[in-house]
Amino acid sequence: MSRKLRAQIAVSLVSLILGLALAAQFKNVQKVGGSVSLQRTQELTRQVQKLEQENEALESQIREYERRISEFENAAKDEGQSNKLIYEELERIRMLAGLVEMQGPGVVVTVNVKYVSEWGEDAIIQNVRYDDLLKLVNELNAAGAEAVAVNGERIIATTEIRNAGDYIVINTNRYSAPFEIKAVGNPETLEAALKLLGGVADDLGAYLHISIRRDDNIRIPRYSGTLQYKFARPLQENKS
Amino acid sequence: MLLPIIGILIGIILGLVLPVHIPTAYSPYMSIAVLAALDSVFGGIRASLEKKFETDAFISGFFGNALLAAGLAYIGDRLDVPIYLAAIFAFGSRLFQNFAMIRRFFLNRMRERFR
Repeated sequence: MSRKLRAQIAVSLVSLILGLALAAQFKNVQKVGGSVSLQRTQELTRQVQKLEQENEALESQIREYERRISEFENAAKDEGQSNKLIYEELERIRMLAGLVEMQGPGVVVTVNVKYVSEWGEDAIIQNVRYDDLLKLVNELNAAGAEAVAVNGERIIATTEIRNAGDYIVINTNRYSAPFEIKAVGNPETLEAALKLLGGVADDLGAYLHISIRRDDNIRIPRYSGTLQYKFARPLQENKS
Repeated sequence: MLLPIIGILIGIILGLVLPVHIPTAYSPYMSIAVLAALDSVFGGIRASLEKKFETDAFISGFFGNALLAAGLAYIGDRLDVPIYLAAIFAFGSRLFQNFAMIRRFFLNRMRERFR
């Protein structure tokens, strides 16, 4: 083989490999989306890692629950007669805890800011504050509401309603006006409780726009967060 | 001179058609390796124009440079030292130098022809 020919073969081969690599890299970059800055990549990577950790924690929780379900199923197999009772009890407790989507007659209360004209400009009198919502929810509960949700956040025993900057945090999610409070219960009682002379609606109506509407079929979502006790545990009676 | 261009074109077409796939995680190292390979090819063209081409040096330079560049970039990533910048700088500047030499060579040839 002559020197020239060998050189030519070598050059062609190397160029071929270079072309292959170029094409592969080109396809890769196209797939990823091209120019993504290093900082952005690192930030996203961190986010992914954080989410993966959260995911792992949630998965272990799921495994724990699945284990418990299978335990219950085994128990049900043993005592077929009483398991219906246990199931009904469980369903009732889940309802009470707010872990079941509910529907029924009730009222829908919308709370929004009120605008006044001030030298030709519309201005709000006052933003919706957390205590306004608390007062309304409180009144509804007092009037026998069986399930309450604010902006789709089910109000349960541990639900917080508090200010955080310009937002109101409910079940750790942030909301701002308008608010929609849905409550299942006796519609007349609920409406009357709010519209009492000198009652909540009167009170808040001075600076907020509040409308109360009865509805025959209200859907209240379930509580979507997780409930976990880390510190509290049931009191152990002395059995001796 | 024509041979490398044809080779690269065929390689690109093959690469686009064939399901060649590099994991995204290795993409940065691959890009450095491609740069090193590009530099080697330009160096080879220049050497052949200057009649100083050596096949062994060319082949070893091609693979050696690509592997070294990718390896250094990898180690740099592990140690959080941006060594790949050095590789990009070195190969990039050499690329332009080589191209400048090739350009001069052709310009000289054309000047001689038109004289």
